[in-house]
Amino acid sequence: MIWQLDLILLIFLVITALISLRVRDLLGASMVFGIYSFLICLLWAGMGAVDVAFTEAAVGAGVSTVILVATVYHTRRVTGGHKRASGMKVLSLLLMLVLGGVLLHASGDFPALGDPTSPANDHPVAQYYIEGSYQDTKVPNLVTSVLADYRGYDTLFETVVVFVAGIGILAVIGVPTARMRREEVCGDTAQFGEDSDLIILQTCRLVVPVLQLFALYVIAHGHHSPGGGFQGGVLFGASYILLALSGGLREALRRLSESMSFRLAACGIVIYAGFGLLCMALGSSFLDYAILDSILPGGVAMARSHSMLIVEAGVGFTVTTILFVIYANLATRGKLEGGL
Amino acid sequence: MNGFILGVALFMLLLVGALLYRVCVGPTAIDRIVAVNAIGTKTTVLLVLIGLLFDDVGMFVDFAVAYGLLNFMGSLAAARYFQRSERRAEADLRHPLPIQSNGGDA
Amino acid sequence: MSLFFDILAGSLMAAGLIFFVGTVTGMLRFPDFYTRMHAGGKGDTLSTILILLGAAVHVSEDFFHDPIHQWGVLLVMVKILGIAAFLMLTSPTSTHALMRAGFEDAHETDETVVDKDQDGPSLEELQSRTWEERS
Repeated sequence: MIWQLDLILLIFLVITALISLRVRDLLGASMVFGIYSFLICLLWAGMGAVDVAFTEAAVGAGVSTVILVATVYHTRRVTGGHKRASGMKVLSLLLMLVLGGVLLHASGDFPALGDPTSPANDHPVAQYYIEGSYQDTKVPNLVTSVLADYRGYDTLFETVVVFVAGIGILAVIGVPTARMRREEVCGDTAQFGEDSDLIILQTCRLVVPVLQLFALYVIAHGHHSPGGGFQGGVLFGASYILLALSGGLREALRRLSESMSFRLAACGIVIYAGFGLLCMALGSSFLDYAILDSILPGGVAMARSHSMLIVEAGVGFTVTTILFVIYANLATRGKLEGGL
Repeated sequence: MNGFILGVALFMLLLVGALLYRVCVGPTAIDRIVAVNAIGTKTTVLLVLIGLLFDDVGMFVDFAVAYGLLNFMGSLAAARYFQRSERRAEADLRHPLPIQSNGGDA
Repeated sequence: MSLFFDILAGSLMAAGLIFFVGTVTGMLRFPDFYTRMHAGGKGDTLSTILILLGAAVHVSEDFFHDPIHQWGVLLVMVKILGIAAFLMLTSPTSTHALMRAGFEDAHETDETVVDKDQDGPSLEELQSRTWEERS
């Protein structure tokens, strides 16, 4: 841990938070949140937590900024005039000061950063993961093996939560009649919208295939390098959002329509849960991959490694399509045409 | 050499701090967006440099590739925002709509 | 041999840093959005590419010492060069996109700074001349 880097990054973090309060223009403020994400991601990379930093970069600095800009497009760009401090503002300021003071006081009791004898590092479960993970699953990346194998149950429900978020967006702002109209119109002529810029279009045509291949690489190589299903899925979804930003949403919908998105998202969850049920059908408990040794080649450890890959692919499907659906609905206010 | 790379990384971080001034005081929104774009590019470089300092570049380089690809998207979204709001203002001028409760934006 | 690689990598990174200092100075001191964009878009791209090339040279030093066993390092070097090539493609594109957006945002206001000769014609005179008179 390089303390000089961490110190400067933390100071910049505080400065950025203050800037985001000062900037009245909401578009500028959403860009400032982008900077906040970069700095947090650098802090985590400086601590050596590369998987977390990867996810933060992909979601926070890429997709989240785009979604914020799309929201600002449909609402106002300037915050309302600041009136004098009302009672509620004073009350919330007091509450924040009290809470912040309590948290600061409690942080004095934390163990030092990187302390090997802290309870999180010293617990027998942590020791078991660190020592036994490679023999059990033949996967060098500890984060992936804990996420997809030892705690696979949690990851299944995280994927379901992502799916429910997509359904929720559809339920809240989706407009049914416009959708049905768009389903008839979309899929005929292959012309790009008249407002797409030629340079951006051609550059994105070069970038999108590279991005998609790289996303598939991140999903597949998540066993050996930082990555995995979620990060690769976000990159893949970002490639469709890039198509929508450069050529128009109609182009992106032509390649991945909304109904297909939901079917693929459901497929992802079915793959994951289906694997768990397959394990139950073969006689063991839910999501216990060791029993799949009879179907998959290579021995018990390799069976776990292979099933982790398949399960991560399921997570990737869901995350990709739901991210695209969220962007498509937010950018057009549910109507899937016009808008950002 | 490690000390030199640390010096380069710290100096670059200080210059990024100078760019934060442009984010804070940019009279227009576009100034802020340009500064954020520049900071994003430098973050990619900083990730590779942190990898060099930890002596394990292979771990950080995948991440830097993904970051470089995604930084591009934020600027494009902001540029498209301005382009579309210009079109919407023009369309409103040509076909002014009566005031509706649902909003008449297309 | 190792000294040669170190000097090469160090000089590439130092050059990139010098260009970045120029970029930041430009972005802070120029009077107008268009000029600031000019400084930011160009200098940023070049300095990033130079620093990444320096990093790639530094990484490849391991490979050249022991080509048989350390061939995995070649993959990392190719990836770093890939980032540099990718940035060379997309950074000017985002500069172009932002310049267009800024043009559409500001073209009705008088926020730009126009260079004027000391003894030359003023802006109104220039704008009122016809095409034949100007050439």
